[in-house]
Amino acid sequence: MGAKWVPRLLLPLTLLLPATAWSVEIHGRSSTQLEWFNNDFNDQRQVEIGQYLRVSITNIDKAGKFSIYGYGRVNQDLNNGEGFNARLYYLYGEYRDLFDKVDMRLGRQFVNYAAGTAIIDGGQVTLKNVGPVAFSAAFGRNVFFDIDGGEAGHGGDLALALSAYLHGFRHTDLEISWFRKWDQWDVARDTIGATFKQNFLNSLKVYGNTRFDLASETFNELLGGVKYFPMSNLVLTGEYYQSYPTFDATSFYSVFAVDQYQEAVFRADYSINSMITLNGGYTSQWFGEGGKGHIFHLGCSLRPIESLLINLEYDNNQGYNGKTNGFLLDAYYDLTKSLQLAAGMGYDVYTRDIVLSDGTARLFWLGGKYRIAKNMTASLRIEDNSNERYSNDVQGRFVFNYDF
Amino acid sequence: MLLALSTFVSHLALAEKATENEPQKETASQSAKESHKDYAEMKISECSECHKGEGVAPNHDGAWVRGHRMVAGKAGSNCSQCHEQSFCLDCHSGGGIDPDLSIRNYQRDYVPKSHRTDFLSIHPVKAQDNPQSCNRCHEPSYCNSCHSRFPKGSLKIKSHLMLGPNHQGYNVSSAQEHATEARRNLQSCQSCHPDGDACIQCHRSGLTNPHPRNWGSIKDNYKDRAGSRVCTKCHLPGTY
Repeated sequence: MGAKWVPRLLLPLTLLLPATAWSVEIHGRSSTQLEWFNNDFNDQRQVEIGQYLRVSITNIDKAGKFSIYGYGRVNQDLNNGEGFNARLYYLYGEYRDLFDKVDMRLGRQFVNYAAGTAIIDGGQVTLKNVGPVAFSAAFGRNVFFDIDGGEAGHGGDLALALSAYLHGFRHTDLEISWFRKWDQWDVARDTIGATFKQNFLNSLKVYGNTRFDLASETFNELLGGVKYFPMSNLVLTGEYYQSYPTFDATSFYSVFAVDQYQEAVFRADYSINSMITLNGGYTSQWFGEGGKGHIFHLGCSLRPIESLLINLEYDNNQGYNGKTNGFLLDAYYDLTKSLQLAAGMGYDVYTRDIVLSDGTARLFWLGGKYRIAKNMTASLRIEDNSNERYSNDVQGRFVFNYDF
Repeated sequence: MLLALSTFVSHLALAEKATENEPQKETASQSAKESHKDYAEMKISECSECHKGEGVAPNHDGAWVRGHRMVAGKAGSNCSQCHEQSFCLDCHSGGGIDPDLSIRNYQRDYVPKSHRTDFLSIHPVKAQDNPQSCNRCHEPSYCNSCHSRFPKGSLKIKSHLMLGPNHQGYNVSSAQEHATEARRNLQSCQSCHPDGDACIQCHRSGLTNPHPRNWGSIKDNYKDRAGSRVCTKCHLPGTY
């Protein structure tokens, strides 16, 4: 769906609103952005102006059950010949609690199920409050975006999901779903999914999820985990995860033998007090046929004074397929109630391949955000990259937000 | 479309009004899980206190970015009580209407923090960690739409051993290494050879069989779903 569809879809709103203006509430954000960056495909500097719009229209009906939500953007390249492009992320009407049992959405929307997720042009219906089990179904055109900013896809790209899930239990979640995706009218994905969560003993959570691919008859993904939280500020996590790469049934690669990937994760998150938060983790990876990897992670958040926040993250990835070792550091300082200053840096040493030498990437950024009025902010962010591709690459953005 | 929906909704509202006077029964499931709408502006630390008191695991913790799909990736999730869908799509689909100052752009698209420093150079390492991680946001065609713009030979793939006129050929003696690499991360092959043009030179009918061991029992699953679309790339009609 190209940009020409945006005004066509918005037009009915103008017809709708006057008729129901007695109760309608319209809120949202307009974000006008100027961005400049290096275009990697032609190695030219590019300057673009972008306009985002997010709107929610609620209380359209007397009972306040019907709403419309929309979000999209348009971009215009000013100097590099890339022209105009647009993305409509969603635009749907929602009616909730029909007979206190049915929720409905129609239009472009993001749908999530254990078996699969998609942005669809279509509808979703949920049946609830009919007992402990609720039901959901979604069907529509499968929408995905391409690297140039617009949409990829063809006629006959469709997605369908059917789901049953436990509804309303405080300590238990269980969802089972079926997700089917079509690629130009051929069935590309056929997946059964399940997700589960149970809290125990005031300090334990057991959870898991899986996706079973019906074409290859394998578990595409399988995850099981435990979280132990003896205190509200300490969470210990242990997880086992495995995946088996599966491809669309319409892909040449779907008929190839592949290896299973497995990982085990151990992680701790601890908030010592309101000033210091720590986290650390280790991931062990098995890639099949003897391939192993290890990932170490450490992080901390410091707030020495109320107006200053410092975040530090360190990652060390020792994989069979390459190595990365580096950190990210961010700091935010509220100079006044209206002005926030921020800065950060990143540093990574990486080995992408044993036939290549180590690469180094450095990143520095500076930013500031100023609240002009209660519903208006302006921000500026400038970033400088130094790496194996560029000795110096400056990019940035200026953003003006208006909330209504 | 929306105009039609609004008309439909007005009919629904009338129909529902007829049942407004009927007694409403409160089911056990309704009273068990409360709405979080009123807590949307609270600090996460305050949420954790309440969760712990109720025996519910704290969420939105430090591991939230990594683990949120367990909570969000299901029907009936309560994310929408506090977040609009833009909150999801700003990370998953490149949008940026609520950008924190630390959030970066890659060209016009906003990217999550996992796309660190020089991600263009680092992504081959990340992409071969968990084979599913890229596909959570990107269709497989996304990889090829970028890789196809670079001349073959410029991407320096290790297992290709820099042979041949474009430095991307295979040394026959390293065939086993190539097979291992492919089985571990076949997505990486697809990112440059979306139609399998390179693979088919050796993996067509009568040559090296690429199918998994249980192929005999599952091959009809593929035929039922995709017809002959894939099979006839290597096999003559009626021979598979």
